Amino acid sequence: MLKTIIIGLGNPVLSDDSVGIKIARLLEARLHGRPDVEVRELSAGGIRLMEAMQGYERAILVDAIVTAGGEAGAVYRLSPSDLRQTRNACCSHDGSLQEAFELGQQIGLVLPREITIWGIEAGDVTTFSDGLTADVERAVAKVVDAIVQQIDHGGTTSREEPTMRTGVYFCTCGTNISDKISPDKIKDDVLGIPEVAYFKTCEYLCSEEGKAFLEQDLKQEKPDRVVVSACSPRDYEKTFRECLAKAEINPYLMQMVNLREQVAWVTADPQAAERKAIAYLRAATARVHWQAPLEEKEIDVCPDVLVVGAGPAGLKAAMALARAGRKTVLVEKTPILGGMPVRYEDLFPNLECAPCMLEPLLAEVVEEKEIERLTLSEVVNVTGYCGNFTVKIRQQPRYVDAAKCIGCGECLNPCPASTTNEFNFGLNQRKAIAFAVTGGLPNVPFIDFQACRRSHGEDCQLCKTACPVEGAVSFSAREKILERNVGGIILAVGSTLYDCSQFPGLAYGKNSDVYTSLEFERLLSASGPTQGKVLKLNGEPPKSVAIVHCVGSLDPKQKPYCSGICCQYAFKFNQMIEHRVEDATVHHFYREMVTPGKEACALYERALANPKAQFVRYSDLADVEVHMDNGAQKLHCRDVAGTAHNIPADMVILCPAIVPTASSKKLGDLLETAQDKFGFFEELHGRADAEQSKIKGIYLAGTCQSPKDVQASMSQGMSAAGHVLSQLPAGRKLKIEPITAEVNADFCSGCKVCASICPYKAIDFNSERKVSVVNALLCHGCGTCVAACPSGAMDGNHFTRDQIFAELDGVLQ
Amino acid sequence: MTQQNPPTNLTSDFEPKIVGFLCNWCSYAGADKAGVAQTPYPPNVRVVRFMCSGRIDPEFILHAYKKGADGVLILGCHFGDCHYKEGNFRATQRHRLLLRLLRQHGIAEERCRFDYVSASEGEKFAKVITEMTHTIRKLGPLHREHNQSHGGSQS
Repeated sequence: MLKTIIIGLGNPVLSDDSVGIKIARLLEARLHGRPDVEVRELSAGGIRLMEAMQGYERAILVDAIVTAGGEAGAVYRLSPSDLRQTRNACCSHDGSLQEAFELGQQIGLVLPREITIWGIEAGDVTTFSDGLTADVERAVAKVVDAIVQQIDHGGTTSREEPTMRTGVYFCTCGTNISDKISPDKIKDDVLGIPEVAYFKTCEYLCSEEGKAFLEQDLKQEKPDRVVVSACSPRDYEKTFRECLAKAEINPYLMQMVNLREQVAWVTADPQAAERKAIAYLRAATARVHWQAPLEEKEIDVCPDVLVVGAGPAGLKAAMALARAGRKTVLVEKTPILGGMPVRYEDLFPNLECAPCMLEPLLAEVVEEKEIERLTLSEVVNVTGYCGNFTVKIRQQPRYVDAAKCIGCGECLNPCPASTTNEFNFGLNQRKAIAFAVTGGLPNVPFIDFQACRRSHGEDCQLCKTACPVEGAVSFSAREKILERNVGGIILAVGSTLYDCSQFPGLAYGKNSDVYTSLEFERLLSASGPTQGKVLKLNGEPPKSVAIVHCVGSLDPKQKPYCSGICCQYAFKFNQMIEHRVEDATVHHFYREMVTPGKEACALYERALANPKAQFVRYSDLADVEVHMDNGAQKLHCRDVAGTAHNIPADMVILCPAIVPTASSKKLGDLLETAQDKFGFFEELHGRADAEQSKIKGIYLAGTCQSPKDVQASMSQGMSAAGHVLSQLPAGRKLKIEPITAEVNADFCSGCKVCASICPYKAIDFNSERKVSVVNALLCHGCGTCVAACPSGAMDGNHFTRDQIFAELDGVLQ
Repeated sequence: MTQQNPPTNLTSDFEPKIVGFLCNWCSYAGADKAGVAQTPYPPNVRVVRFMCSGRIDPEFILHAYKKGADGVLILGCHFGDCHYKEGNFRATQRHRLLLRLLRQHGIAEERCRFDYVSASEGEKFAKVITEMTHTIRKLGPLHREHNQSHGGSQS
């Protein structure tokens, strides 16, 4: 037992400043007759307070305190070092608490090893009264109970009393551990550790026989706590926890000691290894004493899934989920499904028709009853957590009823308003009522209200009049905010191209016949502005084409990475130009040439075989310059060897780095999913879990995670769907790890420091009680908030303050 | 502080007590990796495992010194690799602040080292442990330094 002094501090007639005195009196009544506890009242701090503590092993001080912005009645359990963080520890009486400690320590008095200060936030310390304000009055009983409990259960140093039976199981791991650490040699020392009831060895505790032995022995011995001394807990903690569960002992009442990886295999001297092993066993035994039984919580899971983005990755994911019977909400920003490939003519490496490749999948998605297709829509808000997200989606009106429209296109011709066609990257104009891409699905036009004459107050009805179906065109449609509940979210919002106007030397945006690769894809497409004819802006076919690779890629000043697909589509362009434009020369200017995979080399070989093709390697994009020479566009390039090339380039195609879109940024901010330094969504693990974001229940697919081709995007869409199906099984409950942070509301001052640093937005604020609350479903158990809490109100399950202190005491004993 | 009196003549047989605060996902895995590769290192570091270096309360470090540690080693994931996004960043911030406090208490900065060890860096782990052990061995026991500086100011 610790010799303890409880000191109630304050002024008995100064309203809330008397709370310490009042609590001391109540404690005196409660603890009367206990030889180990003495209660005193003091109206002064400073030297007299320090003197009062002299000779005791533990001091518990109770006082009113005033902190900046504190709520009256809030209770703080503090250690002397915490007092530096409060503004004014004592109110009316002289001296401060920390001055008393410092003075006592400086003159070398025997002061308590353990000092706890219970501070009660005062409401009124200026009125002469022997009563307390209501808020403080309410805190009194709480503090009295807490102090009695502290005395009964001990503080951080009252661990001496052995009250538990701890069983130690020592796995020799064949001879992997026992070669260095002989169980016979350490047995006596281990049995000498307080609370160790027995020490048993096993050859392979993780084998079927070993596990059966452990389970049986635990059933017989019924220890209060278990220490398993074997290998790394990273490998086998789960296994041994299961053994405890089978023996009807809470699995969290076990602590593992890693004698194999971290002692036996790395320590040359057996004696040093034995000493280290004993220290670890002592620490584990001390720690496990403080471990508490924890329960895995289970929550209902909403089996529905949100897929954001209807490109190849999103479509594949949505279809896979729908086939497995999951209701899927597919949100797409543009009016059509299919993403970028529906705008391409042919795909590398086999020059197969892109829309035809997507057609079967698109047709299925359009018909699928389990998929709710929301085009012209954006996610605007997400709340909740894995298994139970609430998503708000803003849907712009199409003004054409998809259920009634027959897709004849009669409405398009009479429309008098034109605007830039963003679906052809501004290469031509479209009407205010238009199809995004001819043949795109759903085959329903949309009205661009900004371009429509009705937005300027005119009552134009020409499209409606031309429509053969009654009520298909409706001007009264309005923007809608839809709310959906989903268990998981797949992000497949795609990517875009690096802004080529960053490179003035390439004349993009200045010279009319300099195109990005996506613009050129539209020139190649039968549904594009030239119906698939490769023509310059003046309508003539080019005689010479220059393709500049690695624009903004592989450049430490721009994007240091290789997008991995540009060389392949550049060689596709080479082929298509050779087929479509008679006698045109094609020059490739490249920094590096990258054609990975088993199929990509075919197009490269065909480009090499093109007699009109030339390849020039440059070392710096600044060495490539597009200029006009007597009305003719030319490209000047100094190659790696320093040789200058000045070639006619009627048409220049730029292959820019693939970069994240603005949607990625918006969604990333909304969901707080990590984005890497380039702005791509960051995966949980680059190789093992590239489809999972760092937030539970949010998955990644396609080029929003990293640049990739159509095949890889589709694969990743399928993988993301697989993750959803395996992690959020319909009808089964989701298990929540019990290793989370927890707030002791009595000690929480409501400062919200925890919430401000939580990386998972897992901490809410209860504005009624003015305390922080941890949402165990969102909490990942990192403990960052625990270390940050200035009031000691936050603790981390299974990594509590007491457990860590005990472990530290153990390793250092 | 309840510390034993230092031996009067210190020789090279001083075996420092060092506490290693390791995060579970990177550095503890790195320590396991050193084990699997059977890379030997001095036995002086006693490892305490945390889920994340962000959980390492400076209070624990002070407690370690109080209980007789001659040095403290905090190991976390490399920046950008944190399993919990940014716990290692918090840990480095706290470490920097703690160093200022330790300086005021006469504890040399070298006694509180922060480093980054990934799950694959078994060799680096062994190297850091070895370096730290040598550093502390050179510095001598913590209380000796403390007493000396105390004596110095009095004379």
